Amino acid sequence: MQLNPSEISDLIKKRIENFDVNVEAHTEGTVVSVADGIVRVHGLSEVMQGEMLEFPGDSYGMALNLERDSVGVVMLGAYQHITEGDTVKCTGKILEVPVGEALLGRVVDALGNPIDGKGEIDTNLMSPVEKIAPGVIARQSVDQPVQLGLKSIDSMIPVGRGQRELIIGDRQTGKTAIAVDAIINQKGTGVKCIYVAIGQKRSSIANVVRKLEEHGAMEHTIVVSATASESAALQFIAPYTGCSMGEYFRDLGEDALIIYDDLTKQAWAYRQMSLLLRRPPGREAYPGDVFYIHSRLLERASRINADEVEKLTNGKVKGKTGSLTALPIIETQGGDVSAFVPTNVISITDGQIFLESDLFNAGIRPAVNAGLSVSRVGGAAQTKVIKKLGGGIRLDLAQYRELAAFAQFASDLDEATRKQIERGQRVTELMKQNQYSPMSVAQMAVSLFAANEGFLDDLEVNKVRDFEDALQSYLKSEQPDLMAKINEKGDFNDEIKQGMKTAIESFIKTSSW
Amino acid sequence: MSELATLARPYAEAVFKRAKEAGNSQEWSDTLAFLAAIVQDDSLAAIVNNPRVGQDKLTKLLLDICQEQFNGEANNFLKLLVENGRLTLAPQIAELFENYKAEDEGYVDVDVITAYALTKAEEQSFATSLKKKLNKKVNISTSIDKTLIGGFLVKAGDSVIDGSISGQLQQLAKRI
Repeated sequence: MQLNPSEISDLIKKRIENFDVNVEAHTEGTVVSVADGIVRVHGLSEVMQGEMLEFPGDSYGMALNLERDSVGVVMLGAYQHITEGDTVKCTGKILEVPVGEALLGRVVDALGNPIDGKGEIDTNLMSPVEKIAPGVIARQSVDQPVQLGLKSIDSMIPVGRGQRELIIGDRQTGKTAIAVDAIINQKGTGVKCIYVAIGQKRSSIANVVRKLEEHGAMEHTIVVSATASESAALQFIAPYTGCSMGEYFRDLGEDALIIYDDLTKQAWAYRQMSLLLRRPPGREAYPGDVFYIHSRLLERASRINADEVEKLTNGKVKGKTGSLTALPIIETQGGDVSAFVPTNVISITDGQIFLESDLFNAGIRPAVNAGLSVSRVGGAAQTKVIKKLGGGIRLDLAQYRELAAFAQFASDLDEATRKQIERGQRVTELMKQNQYSPMSVAQMAVSLFAANEGFLDDLEVNKVRDFEDALQSYLKSEQPDLMAKINEKGDFNDEIKQGMKTAIESFIKTSSW
Repeated sequence: MSELATLARPYAEAVFKRAKEAGNSQEWSDTLAFLAAIVQDDSLAAIVNNPRVGQDKLTKLLLDICQEQFNGEANNFLKLLVENGRLTLAPQIAELFENYKAEDEGYVDVDVITAYALTKAEEQSFATSLKKKLNKKVNISTSIDKTLIGGFLVKAGDSVIDGSISGQLQQLAKRI
């Protein structure tokens, strides 16, 4: 947006006109020491826990430790210009960030300032970063699905709107890839997405944003970025910032999906702050309340009922429930899920998608370990057709895992066992999916149906994916009505079953792959 | 600064309680102010901080200096500070003592800073309105700071009431 000078002076004039002069009363203190982003302040007798404090040079800090004779403050952003003896003012406010529709399509920092060079964010709405999660009365159970667009996840580990589903795995196992695919798949569904990047490289964030733009997914997405080069305080706050932005949509009776990539780094940032504030270290040197930073964050992801939405919007929105679905990501070290932070977050969330480097290296991507991954509430939300067809897949894979060790001696095994192993190999092959190519419910249903009905059994294992690709493009061009019908309702009945069967049979007769 | 206040608190508290019992808090206030002043004196600070000067010598020296000002209890307090190696805390103890005393007697020290000198009547009206606002007796001291441009700035302990033109200009600058 280009402004000419007269417009700017008009804007300023308007601001000055609207500016009401009032006598300001506040509490003051003086800086005693500055070190490692932690400032100790003397005075400030009426400061609140978590209050924003104003430092000279337009910088802000957050009061975290209230002690008898001093206040421990973490600086948000640069602190190099702060010196001993500087005056610190109380603002009487908890940290607030901008929220609203205007943020969609933007990249912002942990304080909600735009960092994508697209100018100011046009919103007047502000929301505190720390809020208490909705109460018991306000909630409703999860019964609508969020389609992530990945066969292996939507069929076996379904995620519902308002659920918290952890994505856990070592580095380089495709955690972010799942998250990005999930965002891309929300295009056109009305689900708003928030991607919170914590402690990542700037280049990785730029990559994610570029990929989202390429796939037209940036219009419904907010990216909150606290990179590795930003202060620990900002990395700590970023998830709460993103959550507040997501809650705005939830409270309006809409659906939102938030991804925290990743919470391990947030815990590290919090550990750094706590140790510098001289709070006593506990297990793995984390402070005592490291569980609480994640539990209070993830509790805010929820589904709220229509009454609550009506109340929150003052009666403007009626009869709509709101939801905020969270996909936190945790990075493990050497597959160790029993470390402190992974166990904490596993126990908080409603299930986990477990990714393994062995599977990833074996070419099974997404590298989902179907045995260890669970969804505790998603089953109730799953689309009917996927639920019906996915059950068989899960069973096939479970039986295959038990027998997989014997796969080398296939010739010596009895007929039934050999069949199970072969089915398992084909299903495993079918569960592979390329990045940035999420599938619709109908596409998934057809693929799963083909596996369930044994259409894959006669194929060679390495031909399964070619078969699937050819089948999908055939159905897209020849059977658009059938696909539209499945997508519309997600029901599974005899008519649809018969339709799929005849379609696949005619495909096998007429096509090659 | 903050840690020193923590260390000084028990001393200040003890002195204050004793002073209240004996009813001679003004006397103690003078004593502590004097002690703070001599400890902060450059030449004496060198001696106080010198490990080669023994406790006995130091006590004797200080008692000599303070002889005329101090009564028996004050002498004992001085000896105690030397013994515990906390003589350098004297300024903090004095400050905390004054805080306790002010709180107990129900008055506050208020600085009124203005760009131009106040008339007697203005000062009086400040005193009455501040008394109403703070619910305490006020002890006003005024000073002049041209950088405020106009208006006033009131400081009472940690709290600040900013009614100055420069403060308002800063607010405006932030808004724009």
